[in-house]
Amino acid sequence: MSKVRIVTDSTADIPAEVREELGITMISLKVLFGEETYRDAVDLTPEEFYSRLKASTALPKTSQPSPAEFLEVYEQLLAEDPTAPIISVHLASVLSGTYQSATIAKSMVEVEGADITVVDSCSASYGHGAQVVLAAQMAQSGASVDEIVAAMKQCQNDNTGVYFLVDTLDYLQKGGRIGKASAMIGSLLNIKPILSLEPNGTVTAVDKARGTKKAMSKIVELLKQSYGNDELILVVAKTDDDTTPNELEQRVTAELNIKEVRYTTVGSVIGTYTGPGTSAVFLFKV
Amino acid sequence: MSKRAIDGSDFASMALLGADLLKRNAEKVNALNVFPVPDGDTGTNMNLTMTSGITELKNKQSAHLGKTAEALSKGLLMGARGNSGVILSQLFRGFSKSLAHVEQATAMDIAAALQHGVDLAYKAVVKPVEGTILTVAKEAARHAVQFARRNTEVLELMVEVHARANEALQKTPDLLPVLKQVGVVDSGGQGLVYIYEGFVQALSGAKVEVGQDSATVAAPAEINVVKHSEPTSAQAKLETLDIEFFYDMEFFIKRNVSGNSVAVFDESAYKKALSKDGDSILVITDDDIIKVHVHSRKPGDVFNLSVRYGELTDIHILNMREQHRQLLEEEETSSEANLSAAELLAGQAIDNRPTEHGFERAPYGMIAVALGEGVAELFRSSDVDVVLSGGQTMNPSTEDFVKAIEALSAEHIFIFPNNSNIILAAEQAAQLTERQVTIIPTKTIPQGIAAVLAFKEDETPERNKEWMQSAASMVISGQVTKAVRDTSIDGVEITEGHYIGLKEKSIVTSEADLLAACQALLASMLEDEGDIITILTGEDATEDVTSAICEWINENHSDLEIDLQYGGQPLYPYVFAVE
Repeated sequence: MSKVRIVTDSTADIPAEVREELGITMISLKVLFGEETYRDAVDLTPEEFYSRLKASTALPKTSQPSPAEFLEVYEQLLAEDPTAPIISVHLASVLSGTYQSATIAKSMVEVEGADITVVDSCSASYGHGAQVVLAAQMAQSGASVDEIVAAMKQCQNDNTGVYFLVDTLDYLQKGGRIGKASAMIGSLLNIKPILSLEPNGTVTAVDKARGTKKAMSKIVELLKQSYGNDELILVVAKTDDDTTPNELEQRVTAELNIKEVRYTTVGSVIGTYTGPGTSAVFLFKV
Repeated sequence: MSKRAIDGSDFASMALLGADLLKRNAEKVNALNVFPVPDGDTGTNMNLTMTSGITELKNKQSAHLGKTAEALSKGLLMGARGNSGVILSQLFRGFSKSLAHVEQATAMDIAAALQHGVDLAYKAVVKPVEGTILTVAKEAARHAVQFARRNTEVLELMVEVHARANEALQKTPDLLPVLKQVGVVDSGGQGLVYIYEGFVQALSGAKVEVGQDSATVAAPAEINVVKHSEPTSAQAKLETLDIEFFYDMEFFIKRNVSGNSVAVFDESAYKKALSKDGDSILVITDDDIIKVHVHSRKPGDVFNLSVRYGELTDIHILNMREQHRQLLEEEETSSEANLSAAELLAGQAIDNRPTEHGFERAPYGMIAVALGEGVAELFRSSDVDVVLSGGQTMNPSTEDFVKAIEALSAEHIFIFPNNSNIILAAEQAAQLTERQVTIIPTKTIPQGIAAVLAFKEDETPERNKEWMQSAASMVISGQVTKAVRDTSIDGVEITEGHYIGLKEKSIVTSEADLLAACQALLASMLEDEGDIITILTGEDATEDVTSAICEWINENHSDLEIDLQYGGQPLYPYVFAVE
């Protein structure tokens, strides 16, 4: 029996070396600055992207991969090994049409005996990425599609371990991805909403605080309530050279039982909606 | 002059002189503030409260004591500002309730009414503190009740009340250590003593000096204490024969006359029997004496009923129709008809005021008290619907709160008083409306800001209250202002004109230099570190000092985030919040 092949999209924010090591196939979403189109995580480094984002007066546009692009990838993988099942894991369907494109592509595949499972990660960035990495690790050790999908569902964890802070709510608001995060958007006081994702991936403000430091304290409090002394893997995501992610990491590691810390960078598609100066933490039980 | 009973006109004179004396001494009362800060002025608050009472009283003047007292009480209730103002309004609310049906009050009526006022005020205040206006009122009322048993002279009673109130006032420092420390008597208690002194003066025949501010000056006829049977237009509108229960009776039943066995006294059954042919019934039961007042058309029946319970003494009967005929004759000779008196009986209790219905309300509304345009703007930008001006120098009245509440179209309303001296007025307003109101007892602007930000639209009022209170309690508030006099408090020597720093309610520093005072205050506030410091710059803040403060914070507490905001508050150049 052939090993399961794992497909994802660029918004999982999985570092390139990890993708290569685990044999993960990635399809890029696209970022459009005016007439120029860039493939997320391929054509544009995060440094380049965020400096352009800060300089740009008009927000860049993003676009999901077309079903044809998915079809091409699926057919290519099936050509390599027609008996290998494919699991295709994507950005929360409430946030993007990527999952929809993948589903359409699946229905278009005309290879006899093709076994493709499209999974809604119900999450974003490394909340999504962690599920992909887990799936790829299990696939390497020969797990079945059912086992892998069950493990990913467990990893989704209702997004209780996902928190992020943004420098300004402007990007979330302009991009229409704000969900219930609109609280106090007009306040003159330096309000920092503590953002998380609902179980289906919708952006939500679980609390708010005066200033970034206070917000970080609250995130640590919320994590302590959820995890107590559990052994955890912490993934810290940053956008640009802001120091907030480092401080957030220090505070989380000081107060929780962190066994391993991984780092990633929020890619250009997610970054278009959160803006520069975003920091995020993702926690997973060991 | 001698007086065995007072009517509405007498009481109006008393109230006017009481208000006048309070007004003239308001500054003296202000000077008794424990903290040498230019705020929470008790004299100003009580004076404004009393002024509101007097305005209402003048609109509804009557020879009927109960109605006059009710008018005063209603005005006080709505105009109540500051803690002392609220307590004052509760004292007179109880007083007027006790006398509601009394046209003319005897010494014993008045004593009982004073006592009732004290009872109500103690109930109204969540945590009554001794050594305040409450103690002064309580001591005076207790003495009045005892004195009235032996003496029926109203003037003498008020002289005693005033003297005992003053005595209690002088002892307030023994009960409240902070008063002793600063060397003052309680300011609210002092205000009450001035009011009682005015009562005494009015009963002695004094008048308000003409030429005073109109708010406390009445038309001469109104305050003439001799005019025992002063006519009013309202009375003139009554037909003499309309007075159905026209024998005004008053007597005592002595219970323990040696040798005689008397029937067991059932007060409610007795009142019921009296009401068959009478109204304006007042029965005050004591251990060995019962005081009875009733307007009845069958005085004989009243006596026959009463003799079962003991010996009748001090019996007075007055024919009210006869009295009324005299009034009408006098009215004809007097040219002035009081036009506003038509409104006399139109007064409606606020408690019965209907609330608006028939349109959709928002689930929540928020009212905050703020001083300074910048601070008000901060609240408005943070989802507060109504920002009431006030805080330090001008506390909003109960009525201001009631109006704000009634104007808001929200199911549940949260109020953030943001000053300890405003909480009671807000609570009183909450009781006066039928709307669902929750007071979050914030004592400073920083606490109010923290509480407002803790609000969650999709949570219950109870949980919101819990969160908001907890958020307020996590903030350390600091304020810098100029001392208004020399004093020594909490071990800090304070010089008038120096800048003092208050951390919550304690003065932690006094410095000639503004920056030095800010630094000392901040050092104290930052003992336990924190994540963010908010600086609200007041009218008297300067750019130099502000940037020096920020520099100092960056040097000494580099981890701290600074949120610099324009507050625009007067008197307090800087307000700080550490969270």
